[in-house]
Amino acid sequence: MHLVDALAIMLLVAATTAFVLGERALARAEDLSAMYWLVVGIVSLQAAVQVARPGKAA
Amino acid sequence: MRPEGIFQRLSAMGAAAQASVPGAYAWAVTVAPAAWARGSPVVAKVAAVAALLALGGGIVGERAAGGKVRPFAMWGFVLCCALAWSAAPAALAPLRIDAPRGVAGMVGWALFAFAFAAPSLQGRREEERILDAPELSPRKTVARGDAAYLVLGSALATALQIIGWRVATAERALLIRFSALAAGIAIVGAAADLALVRHAPRARRSRTRRLRTGMVMLVVLGLLGLTGILFALRG
Repeated sequence: MHLVDALAIMLLVAATTAFVLGERALARAEDLSAMYWLVVGIVSLQAAVQVARPGKAA
Repeated sequence: MRPEGIFQRLSAMGAAAQASVPGAYAWAVTVAPAAWARGSPVVAKVAAVAALLALGGGIVGERAAGGKVRPFAMWGFVLCCALAWSAAPAALAPLRIDAPRGVAGMVGWALFAFAFAAPSLQGRREEERILDAPELSPRKTVARGDAAYLVLGSALATALQIIGWRVATAERALLIRFSALAAGIAIVGAAADLALVRHAPRARRSRTRRLRTGMVMLVVLGLLGLTGILFALRG
């Protein structure tokens, strides 16, 4: 396993944690906080996929 | 003659019979508790029993008249369940449904929909082969570790479904369910992407290149983190 793969998995787990925090904030009716965590989750997911995507082979 | 396996027997029973197993499970988890809850009207109980009869009628009807009975059985079952829920709406209040039961009901209904939509299971096909030649070998085999990515993604997506079952307002409870579902689908999709990109041809020094590719998102993530810290300090 490459280092970037491990980083991608960590970002995936971080995205899930952000989504969990967002759902919990949504349940407490803290909408601004919920939106913040959901955006963090989306960006983390996108970062995970982009980091893991390999460059073009020479 | 080789004894029939479980797949052959299930296949012979038909798709309605196969779908009746998750259907009965979904009924037991989500419909029966609502219909027989304290204070539920008789209409709810009658509709719940009618739903079970529709499920059983689907099995008998499919054996007698073929697959054309399946839509009637499915819609009969679903509409009777909906009638039972409509007659006893208080039993479906978010505070009366706990998380394990809610997740079990979602899984049961998803399995029921999948089993009813799909054709009946097929068993081993060696006897049905037309060519005598040996089976073709696949050009590629599924690499080890792909399943682990998908299991991890599914586990993370399932973890999201545990939250938000004790919200009093129905609208907010629905909003949480929808957002958790969307987030779960996104996580499973990302996990599948991570599993697939491992098989793409990799260039030398690709680590630097990949980090550079994802740098924009990492910077955005850093800025978001910084913003969160600043807001937390202000609050």
